[in-house]
Amino acid sequence: MLKIENLSATVGEGEDAKTILNGLSLAVPTGEVHAIMGPNGAGKSTLSYVLTGREGYAVTGGTATLNGADMLALEPEARAAAGLFLSFQYPVEIPGVPVMTFVRTAMNAQRKARGEAEISAPDFIKKSREIAKVLSLDPEMLKRPVNVGFSGGEKKRLEIYQMMMLEPRFMVLDETDSGLDIDALRTVAEGVNALRAPSRGMLVITHYQRLLDYIKPDKVHVLAKGRIIKTGGPDLAHRLEAEGYDGVLAEAV
Amino acid sequence: MSTALKDMIRNPTVAELELVARYAALKADARRERLFEAFAQTGLPGRRIEGWRWTDFKAALTSLDAPKVATARDPLARDGVATLRFTPSGYAAPKALPAGLKLLAKDDVQAMGGAEDAPLGALAAALSGGRTPATLLVDVSAGVPVHLHMVFEGPGAINAARVVFLLRPGAELHLSESHLGGAALSASLIEFTLNKDARLNRTVYQIGGAGEAQAITALIEQDAGAESVQTVLAFGAKVARIETRLVHRESGSKATLNAAYLAGAGLQADITTHVRHGAPSCITGQVTKGAVLDGGRGVFQGKFHVPRTAGQQTDASMQHKALLLEEGAEVFAKPELEILADDVQCAHGNTSGALDAAQLFYLRQRGIPLVQARALLTEAFIAEALEGAGALEEALRAEASAWLNHAA
Ligand SMILES: Nc1ncnc2c1ncn2[C@@H]1O[C@H](COP(=O)(O)OP(=O)(O)OP(=O)(O)O)[C@@H](O)[C@H]1O
Ligand SMILES: [Mg+2]
Repeated sequence: MLKIENLSATVGEGEDAKTILNGLSLAVPTGEVHAIMGPNGAGKSTLSYVLTGREGYAVTGGTATLNGADMLALEPEARAAAGLFLSFQYPVEIPGVPVMTFVRTAMNAQRKARGEAEISAPDFIKKSREIAKVLSLDPEMLKRPVNVGFSGGEKKRLEIYQMMMLEPRFMVLDETDSGLDIDALRTVAEGVNALRAPSRGMLVITHYQRLLDYIKPDKVHVLAKGRIIKTGGPDLAHRLEAEGYDGVLAEAV
Repeated sequence: MSTALKDMIRNPTVAELELVARYAALKADARRERLFEAFAQTGLPGRRIEGWRWTDFKAALTSLDAPKVATARDPLARDGVATLRFTPSGYAAPKALPAGLKLLAKDDVQAMGGAEDAPLGALAAALSGGRTPATLLVDVSAGVPVHLHMVFEGPGAINAARVVFLLRPGAELHLSESHLGGAALSASLIEFTLNKDARLNRTVYQIGGAGEAQAITALIEQDAGAESVQTVLAFGAKVARIETRLVHRESGSKATLNAAYLAGAGLQADITTHVRHGAPSCITGQVTKGAVLDGGRGVFQGKFHVPRTAGQQTDASMQHKALLLEEGAEVFAKPELEILADDVQCAHGNTSGALDAAQLFYLRQRGIPLVQARALLTEAFIAEALEGAGALEEALRAEASAWLNHAA
């Protein structure tokens, strides 16, 4: 279970420090998929970064645990080894590092951190081939440097490829749907659904109902001004799509 | 020591007096004297001398006491490749040499053009001799490509060596050099004449301890249609200077001068190049990449000189990019383009900065620990500079990678 309690965080330093997360509480029980929706600038990506330990954010209060382990106390790589995965809203280009090298290095680093044996080269290649097929990824793409020259949609698909390769215990998907064409959206959603399991949790950040038609959430949260202001079932996403945030936000205050 | 000798260098340091004594002990030779005088004009070069501001041999080399460190392993050693070995106590060459290669170890000193511009090259030439050849002449003829490996290493006060290559028209030489240190001062002068259409691929691996000084000076002259590709991987020393002075002296000559330097705490690596486009339609491409840790220092000085008439239709590009891996890392760069001709294509770039925080986080989010993430990114960053090493590229990359994963 991912458990966030009263989490507050700022960006910037000293006088410029700006509170972005403001007493945010949220719990995603293992086996469930929750969606987060909310206006631009509400703090959704900030939440994903604070959870995964990106530099530049200061936690000023609250806690975040994954299956009881204090995430905020760990280095980013240790959080990843504990099973936390972020599908980035803006995947980063890594010139000179081929996708396969990158993912294999990551996988073995995580395994090492967990005290497991490295994956053999043939096993890795086999797994990679299978997943590339599910996601309709051109195997040639996996030989290219990470995200360099990839289209917006290709980058998002590559995030899901990495996620399926690494098999994390908890996944945060930050606007994975943006930039995907209609067919790719379905393919990616199938990949994500294939990872749904009683042992895994998922937090899906999106602006659009459409993704949630494919990845059916157990709960939908509305994040605004740095906190969760409303929680409901899948129908809440439909209401937001129809009424916009104004209606729902007005009601919440 | 006679007063005349003592007065050769003004206000000499202890180390400089030892160099004078060493010179005096060698067989007298008018050319040797000229070379030593060329060195003596500056003495051990240091911060007061143009071109040596950031690489201070005078301050670094307080005495010539042999440092007590084991010599580094040679990652470029390969079975089946003829190997010449230069140590402070002698010189060794295999009996059987590859076809197309002739060696001539000479007792007398050869003249050196431009000795004043390369004081440590002049010093290497002036101090070669005694137990090693004063000049080792290497003649490479056309026919089959010739592979040769040279090692400079071993404990002692001074390891001085001078090798003069002549690549006959159409000859092809694949030369690797491992400068592994071990002496208080290692100074080598390596000269190349590339006749028409000759090809040189030179790979230089340099590593040295925090108590050593190393100066590797190369002079390259190229005739029409000649082509050289040079790849340097330098880990530095207390002071280490890898200097290459190249002249395109006939048209259609081509040079690639790439280098990567990785400098850890207490170490300094200096990549200095000087290229003269003395004939029309010549090409020079240069990529230097560096990565430096806290307490380390990287230096890049590159100069292209393109004279007014001779240098027309020059195509030259110079890139230097450095990564400051930690706070406290130092990089000094001085790219210089002196272009007097008007019909030329010249590009240059010079940047230094930290690793990209967004990239680092992306790698760490996937579970790659900080040190390994840094190593992966840095290795990718310097890779371009090592691409020209051909069959030796992998060995160089492996050394860089090992260093990045352990030292960095
Ligand atoms: N490094 C930073 N410096 C200053 N402000 C920042 C920084 N990072 C985020 N912010 C601000 O924090 C707020 C929340 O940003 P965040 O990216 O979390 O929003 P979001 O909910 O993900 O929005 P979107 O739906 O547009 O992706 C925004 O107002 C943003 O400008
Ligand atoms: Mg966002």
